[in-house]
Amino acid sequence: MPQAFKQAPWRLQILSTGRTALWIVGLVILGGVYLAVNAKVAEAGRELLMLQQQHELLIRTNGELSAAYAELISPEIMMERAAYLGFRPALPDEINYLIVDGFEISDEFEAPRPLTSGESRPGMLSPSYTETLGEWLSRFAIGGDR
Amino acid sequence: MLAMGLMTVGLLVQLIRVQFGPYAPVFAAREQVGSSRLERVIPARGLIFDRDGRLLATNATSYVLEVETRQLTSASRKDIPDVLSKVLLLPLDDLEEQLNRDWVAQGQFRIRLTRTDKAGEPLPINVDKYVAQVLNEFLADPYAPDLSGLSLVPNPKRIYPNGELAGHVLGFVNQENEGFFGVEGYYDEWLSGKPITISRPMIPPEARAQPDPPGGVNLVLTLDMDIQQMVERELAAAIESSGSESGEIIVMDPRNGEILALAAWPTLDPNEYEPWLLDEDGRDPIITPAVGGMFEPGSTFKVITMASALDAGVVEPDTEFIDTGEIEVGGNTIRNWNGEAWGPQTMLSCMKNSLNVCLAWVASEKLGAPMLYRYLRAFGLGSLTGVDLSGEITGQLRTPRHPDWTESDLGTNSFGQGLSLTPMQLMAAVGAVANGGVMVQPHIVRQVVGPNGAYSPKTIVLGRPISAETARTVTEMLVSSMESEAVYASLENYRLAGKTGTAQVPGEFGYDPKWTIASFIGWGPVDDPQFLVLVRLDKPEISPWGSVVAAPVFQKVVRRLVVFLEIPPDVVAG
Repeated sequence: MPQAFKQAPWRLQILSTGRTALWIVGLVILGGVYLAVNAKVAEAGRELLMLQQQHELLIRTNGELSAAYAELISPEIMMERAAYLGFRPALPDEINYLIVDGFEISDEFEAPRPLTSGESRPGMLSPSYTETLGEWLSRFAIGGDR
Repeated sequence: MLAMGLMTVGLLVQLIRVQFGPYAPVFAAREQVGSSRLERVIPARGLIFDRDGRLLATNATSYVLEVETRQLTSASRKDIPDVLSKVLLLPLDDLEEQLNRDWVAQGQFRIRLTRTDKAGEPLPINVDKYVAQVLNEFLADPYAPDLSGLSLVPNPKRIYPNGELAGHVLGFVNQENEGFFGVEGYYDEWLSGKPITISRPMIPPEARAQPDPPGGVNLVLTLDMDIQQMVERELAAAIESSGSESGEIIVMDPRNGEILALAAWPTLDPNEYEPWLLDEDGRDPIITPAVGGMFEPGSTFKVITMASALDAGVVEPDTEFIDTGEIEVGGNTIRNWNGEAWGPQTMLSCMKNSLNVCLAWVASEKLGAPMLYRYLRAFGLGSLTGVDLSGEITGQLRTPRHPDWTESDLGTNSFGQGLSLTPMQLMAAVGAVANGGVMVQPHIVRQVVGPNGAYSPKTIVLGRPISAETARTVTEMLVSSMESEAVYASLENYRLAGKTGTAQVPGEFGYDPKWTIASFIGWGPVDDPQFLVLVRLDKPEISPWGSVVAAPVFQKVVRRLVVFLEIPPDVVAG
């Protein structure tokens, strides 16, 4: 073999070039995968950002719609509508009461809970969007990836 | 080789520009936060409902106008002020001045456009979604005026769908999302939640779960909007018919302190609160007069004085008194409301005829100062009631320990002169008489709903200033009053108790000879009191007397109230 390399030194150059090329190809593949994963994460991040903005917009729109509805059923408007339909407020002597012992109306209103809980939600995103390549490889190496 | 050299030189030039060029502060700021953007996340402010679940306060969006100063063009510096002044009817020169300042040289790359309020203070320009839509269309249209650099930043805005209804109770929220007065002010910390600052990765925008800021709680009030609306209508009608300057009606359940309605005139629309903050006389605005405004109660206060005397055992309902038409207490001569002598009286007739001389005699000759003021303290006078409305004051009660107190105060205080109460203090004190001697704390919030569940405040007993028996006796005396001086307040088939009040208006140089405060406080049905109503009209023109001006308003309110509360008539014998 040394004789062969001495007679044709270009063989050695091809060998070293090949090794270098192999490394470069390996690095390019790794870089490509890294870039692809990061691009995917960035895209998901952007989508998430847009969804969050949309979520906020929907909450605000919902608030505006609730306000519009509340305005429509406000006592002032309802009184006007009732008057338009020919109704008027009842007077005490126009009402007949039937008293039923022990009967109680228990339809007490309970307000809805606030929209935000005040707690972070770590389980909301799949780990595939958040873990690094190193974390993924180590998880893969110990057989945790199923 | 040449190309490599050129690239190296170019790189060096760019590095120097980044380090020392005009955008150096931007890059420095960017370096400080890394590739993330710090964002302040403001949670949605809690909602407010009435007791039946009708929405009283919610959130919408307004848009703040901001300008990215580096993106301004010579055309947009002219077009932005031009468009905004026409669309929003704002002074053109003010906007031009803001746009044409050299902000970049001052290191300002983003500015918020402002307008000037009536007091000359700059306020951020807020536009609603319709104006925002027009401006966004301009921004997107290449043929429209050049608005380069202008951006519309969404900003939470509080809205009150019922407008003026219950405005004085609710208070308002300013542009910085801070609550003031009423419920908004008192529960501001709870309603607003806790804004947090998060670091949002932007280069690249990373997908990461972000914590939610702790949200504001939702509140359910004790108010009944049907009753509130009825009361506001009656108050508006009374103000108009009596020619009064201002007024107030409060409806409370004396058994548990729940405020069912609270109306004040002039009305306040919390959506448009700014005019209220600009008092022409430079005084602090009183947004919730039920707790922040005080008045001399006049004869309605006789309920407290008589209850104290009966409870102390110094008089009985049939204790006799000869009314000579005047009495001197501490060098001050006190006369009756009509200046006449009423002759032989009992305590019952003293109350029925609302005699100042008689009550001054009870306070000075029977009770004495130490005992009277001990009772007044027990009734909570001179102290906060603790009602959950922002801006409550203590009123003014001078006791013998006060350096300015004189013996004449003892006489005048007995019939509600020379001391000042808030309407809520009067409600709490008289509520004790209505509620069998037990004084409960007035309150406006019925339920607090947070992320972890609902909490309902319990009734708080402030004290027992008088016995149940005394309360019953005073009530019966006031039922009798309803048949004489307060006949205009009575309602057929319902047993009600109440007392009129006509108070002089104190001024800088003594009492105003012309104006009065006409009031009426009453409750019912006396066997099972479910409502306590205070009517107060300031400076009525048609008549100075509470019995003429305020008592009929009480009757009108109660006539509707018994229907809303589904209170059947008392059984009438025969």
